[in-house]
Amino acid sequence: MIDRFATTGFHPFVLPFLLGMWFVLGYCLFGMIRILWELPRKDRRRFLLSLVTPKTAWKNIKDIFLNCLIHVKLWKRNPVLGYMHSSIAFGWFMIILLGHVEVFLFLPERIRLFYYPIFFNFFVAEGESTIQGSVLMFLMDFFLLVILSGITLAIIKRFASLWFGMRRTTRPSFLDMVGMYSLWAIFPLRLLCESFTAHISGGSFLTIPMNRLFAWFFGNDLNYLPTWWAYSIVLGIFMFVLPFTRYMHIPSEMLLIPLRNAGLRVMHPRKGFARVQVFSCPGCGVCIDACPMSVKKENLKDCTVYLNRQLRRGNEKRIAEISDKCLLCGKCTEVCQVGVEGPEMRVAQRSLRKYSINPHYNNIQADPFIDALPAGTRVLYFAGCMTHLTPGIKKSVLSLLDKAGASYSVMDPDGGLCCGRPMMMAGRDEQAREMIRLNSEIIRGSRCNVLLLSCPICYRIFKEKYNLGNIRVVHHSVYFEELIRAGRLKVTRDEAVKLVYHDPCELGRGCGIYDEPRAAVSAVGTLVEAGKNRRESICCGGSLGSITLSYEKREGITRNSVANLMAESPDAIVTACPLCLSTFNKYADVPVKDLATVLDEKC
Amino acid sequence: MDYIAVVGGGIAGMEAAAQLKALGLEPVLIERSEALGGHVASWHCLFPDLTPADKLIKDLESRLEGVDIQLGAEVSTLNPLRKGYSVVLSNGKVYPCRAIVLATGFTLFPAQRKEEYGYGIYDHVITNRDLEGWFGGNGDSRVPESPKAVGFVHCVGSRDIKAGNAQCSKVCCITAIKQAIEMKERFPGAEIYCFYMDLRLFGKKYEDFYIRAQRDCGIHFIRGRVSEVAETIDGRVQVKAEDTLSGKPIKVRLDLLVLMAGIVCNPDSEQFSKAVSMPLDDDGFFRSRNNIGDITRSDRPGVFLAGACTGAKTVPETLAEARSAALNVYQYLKGQK
Repeated sequence: MIDRFATTGFHPFVLPFLLGMWFVLGYCLFGMIRILWELPRKDRRRFLLSLVTPKTAWKNIKDIFLNCLIHVKLWKRNPVLGYMHSSIAFGWFMIILLGHVEVFLFLPERIRLFYYPIFFNFFVAEGESTIQGSVLMFLMDFFLLVILSGITLAIIKRFASLWFGMRRTTRPSFLDMVGMYSLWAIFPLRLLCESFTAHISGGSFLTIPMNRLFAWFFGNDLNYLPTWWAYSIVLGIFMFVLPFTRYMHIPSEMLLIPLRNAGLRVMHPRKGFARVQVFSCPGCGVCIDACPMSVKKENLKDCTVYLNRQLRRGNEKRIAEISDKCLLCGKCTEVCQVGVEGPEMRVAQRSLRKYSINPHYNNIQADPFIDALPAGTRVLYFAGCMTHLTPGIKKSVLSLLDKAGASYSVMDPDGGLCCGRPMMMAGRDEQAREMIRLNSEIIRGSRCNVLLLSCPICYRIFKEKYNLGNIRVVHHSVYFEELIRAGRLKVTRDEAVKLVYHDPCELGRGCGIYDEPRAAVSAVGTLVEAGKNRRESICCGGSLGSITLSYEKREGITRNSVANLMAESPDAIVTACPLCLSTFNKYADVPVKDLATVLDEKC
Repeated sequence: MDYIAVVGGGIAGMEAAAQLKALGLEPVLIERSEALGGHVASWHCLFPDLTPADKLIKDLESRLEGVDIQLGAEVSTLNPLRKGYSVVLSNGKVYPCRAIVLATGFTLFPAQRKEEYGYGIYDHVITNRDLEGWFGGNGDSRVPESPKAVGFVHCVGSRDIKAGNAQCSKVCCITAIKQAIEMKERFPGAEIYCFYMDLRLFGKKYEDFYIRAQRDCGIHFIRGRVSEVAETIDGRVQVKAEDTLSGKPIKVRLDLLVLMAGIVCNPDSEQFSKAVSMPLDDDGFFRSRNNIGDITRSDRPGVFLAGACTGAKTVPETLAEARSAALNVYQYLKGQK
């Protein structure tokens, strides 16, 4: 390879690209510094430490490679979309990488120039063919072809998204359109540029035949400079609009992954970690179809993708509205390819609200509760508010404990303190903390070994926010399944009865418990599955998470969820959450029962 | 021969059929169950004069002489004819009818749906209907022999959007007072509590009844919804509520809790509304042509409505509507000739 512009190594056509590149790099650098600055000091320390810890550093590299370039998660969900994304992302990455390899191999003194690897074929003339040269040229053409196939899919998807399995998608903004069209134009233009100059710089299976074709067609070299200009301008446009479009997710995700791997949580809805999440949202709209509120084409603009959009625009009224309405079921996070934590962002937003009344619970003492408990309790059962409103569950749990011969006592026989989760969901952290403190005192004071819960809403906060030392916190579905396996509970199985298990949001997506309840259901009947189940189970609609959703609107959500459960026409719906139970009971045509009740009937 | 189909053998249907017969028409009274009288037949006595319910039923029955009564029969299909309908019954009989009077009534709210009150779960929780049955001499193991404390919960499944019924059931306030007085008379030593949202005592003599309950019987009226019901170790019922007048939470232990289950629409009404292509009201009951001047006529010609199928009604209102519906039918047929 010979440098064609040996003295300067510069041509003015590179300017649009160069300016765009500097702009986007500067923007991202500034943004990154700002985000790190906004992080609470403890979190920043934790993040910086994680970068130098070999284990997390390796995980960061692996995750960035697998998610940002290969899109493994998307491949698993939808192979066509997976191919579309990874062909563009990985192909582009390889072209940039191979461009650098070329410069490094043939013109190492030019490696300092930003634009050389991108516009290599403009600046060089092929002196002699070498084996390395042809392999590189071949790879360049190959990856360009891969990208072009991805772009073709992207264009088809734009006009027929249903072919790709997406029912609803977002409406791109004007700048999104500019970014999208310039992205589509980059690679066909690159193919044209390289083809026009292939007789000078050399090429491979794609560019050389095209060069011959063009030479035969045009008969001169006059086209190549305008095409290189166009290529550079399109690159420049894409980079200038990138920070203001959804394509900002490309650089943001590379920061999001290390921050998440460092174990950070959303503390403020606008600052730090939340800001990275907002900018990492690719605006694909997968969460629209997933959101349980979007049945009957309602509340379409209240899902996480629109929350992110409004957060970027700073539309305070809509941000508050969207944040209050959400059921916090967590399904959007489950289906999200970058893992934007919609519910956490909303709870953080709710915590910004100022209340005129801030209740305190200092007048409540833990001692009377502790004194009321018999000494030598091994299993402490906390029914919680919701189970008190569904006394059938409490009765079944106590009956099963008796049948298993467990030594137990009830922590709140006469009603007790709330676990704190409803307050936490409403963003009232301070009130929740007080309840956590009081309940912890009572539980520690009881000297029990096991804290048994029948409500997943309580279970989640006891698991996540309470520090109870050696006391095991267990949900009744897990506990009773263990007792059945250990032979302490003898249940009879009736194969003829078909039971469907509904995964409550808080127990499934919230705590990752999917298999134990299913095993327990299988012990008494034939387990059938709902249309959407496990990680993608549909919220019952009764969730405490939503502050503003009316009962009329919830009805549609519940009916849709029931219809999903009836996919295999079961004889009864089994759930493990008192709130799901009472919500389904209103609209289901088959009996709805708690897992404990089902087991108790067969025990 | 041209018939007038009267669907539903409760007091509305019985009265309408009797009136139609008296007007010289040929009614056929269709009742799903094996006996006439509907909900009122399961009641012991009626407010505000404590009239025995079976006396009312007997009076109505005595006036049904010569009426074609189809017991144990349901309407399986309604086919529109050029003039009127062809009514096909589940027992295979077919009646060509010039007009139809729908007197399909209501359903008592299933109290187990409000699981927090523990109906069907706790041993001493019953509904207003169960208590009437017990008053009528049907034994009920849930009613203790000599209760020391009895509670009544108003508005169970009424005025409750969460339970799916936003409407007031109209009759439960006064029924609760009636039943509370009857309980006090049977167990003078017992304390009686009524938990209410607000008391709607609109009818003749209702207010007197309420004053009597407070002044003469010493019944405690507590304004506040019951939040939670639990069972104590000795099998009693513990009720938690807020006394919103004094602003304090209260907790009472009772030997018997009576749930005043409300009036909700009949699930069959949808089927009828489809058969005669007549839209339902948004509360699930049948829709009258006009809620003030034309309550017993529907939007469909030849279809008339009587009693609680258009919403909660008292007994005298139901009877008056049944008569009015019969008169409407008579005039409608006269106008057709």
